[in-house]
Amino acid sequence: MDYILNVSSYILEGSIVTFKLYIITAVFSVLLGVLGALGKISKFKFLQTILGIYTWIFRGTPLLLQLFFAYYGLPVIGITLQPFPAAVLTFIINYAAYFTEIFRAGIESIDKGQYEAAQVLGLNYRQTMTRIIIPQTIKRVLPPTSNEAINLVKDSALVAAIGLGDLLRAAKVAVTRDFSIVPFIIAAVFYLLISSVIVTVFRKLEQKYSVYE
Amino acid sequence: MEMIRAEKINKSFGKLKVLNDVSFEVQQGEVISVIGPSGSGKSTLLRCLIGLEEINGGEIFVEGISTEKEGKKAFRKMGMVFQGFNLFPHKTVLENLTEAPLIVKKEDRKTAVQKARTLLKKVGLGDKEDSYPSQLSGGQKQRVAIARAMSMEPDIMLFDEPTSSLDPELVGEVLSVIRDLAEDKITMMVVTHEMGFARDVSDRVFFMDHGKIISDTVPEKIFVNPESERIQAFLTKILNENRGSHQ
Repeated sequence: MDYILNVSSYILEGSIVTFKLYIITAVFSVLLGVLGALGKISKFKFLQTILGIYTWIFRGTPLLLQLFFAYYGLPVIGITLQPFPAAVLTFIINYAAYFTEIFRAGIESIDKGQYEAAQVLGLNYRQTMTRIIIPQTIKRVLPPTSNEAINLVKDSALVAAIGLGDLLRAAKVAVTRDFSIVPFIIAAVFYLLISSVIVTVFRKLEQKYSVYE
Repeated sequence: MEMIRAEKINKSFGKLKVLNDVSFEVQQGEVISVIGPSGSGKSTLLRCLIGLEEINGGEIFVEGISTEKEGKKAFRKMGMVFQGFNLFPHKTVLENLTEAPLIVKKEDRKTAVQKARTLLKKVGLGDKEDSYPSQLSGGQKQRVAIARAMSMEPDIMLFDEPTSSLDPELVGEVLSVIRDLAEDKITMMVVTHEMGFARDVSDRVFFMDHGKIISDTVPEKIFVNPESERIQAFLTKILNENRGSHQ
């Protein structure tokens, strides 16, 4: 029992990195995703093309490759990043690409009649988006966003590959050190706990938004 | 007073000419029904008046204000009701009515809510202010949509087939609300397939065909004694359809 507690607290220390990475990535990738989506539905063809290439590359290549690129690749051209900034940067850019596409699809799923009703009532573009379109979009993008939020928990384990001491790496160190399988089981329990919290939060959000329709 | 003046307005979608040199004027308090076969440009005409479609030629004046030069000011004089209601589903009935007064007109909340409640009573939905649109019947939705348009206190109301997506038994309640507005002397243009309504309520009837108003006259003349064969054929067809659907 003592051993389990010891290993748990060791792994918990490692999970601080995981939490930090998770929170920073979630906040900034969602924000960038909203901007990306608004850019993609804007009338600026050039911006649309740039964003199209961006999401094509970052959704179409492995996250691990992008991570290696940022950490091992960029130093070749003279840009050296510490492991954590490299991981955060890669995760934000990668997840923002997914959110850009999710939010774009969400916004485009809103009926044109909503824009017309807002226009004839005198609302301008910004008011229409912030008060009419985006609130309705949030409800529709909650399920896919929930999926990404859970993926992010699991993807965060990839940072172990560039030497970051995250939850998974702590478990692996403990396994090697103690020649025991227990740390992996504890790590799995940790991941499940985090995922469960996220699922619960999203379920609550979906309930809140199910007031209408 | 002249509320709307359209001078030779033209509208094309690609190669398709939808409005072809359309001119007319509407006086204060007049109720105009716009009838005609589908694809004749009725809806497009209303949509051009309120700026949902840009015209390719001609000029529109709303209370003397050019929509080209001062679009925002001109369009603000009008309210519009759509075939598909287009209520805001994430807002309650009351919020649907207060949204624009609060954020466009910057009215204070108390005034906006008070006016919204008065309007809801007027359309017979005083008890529905906390409902969401999804909880209402089609007829109730359309009555809320009318009240919402009225919440901006427009001088002119445009109705784009307000009863076309309603079950037959719900058409009456919506038409009676529009009738009430007509009695209040609000200037209205109503695109409709309800010939009874067009005959009884309107001061003038526009008959449109192929992007032109081919007849602009009092209802008696169009319904009792239609001048052209085209109108006669249309009316015969519509009346037969209506008879068919009521069997």
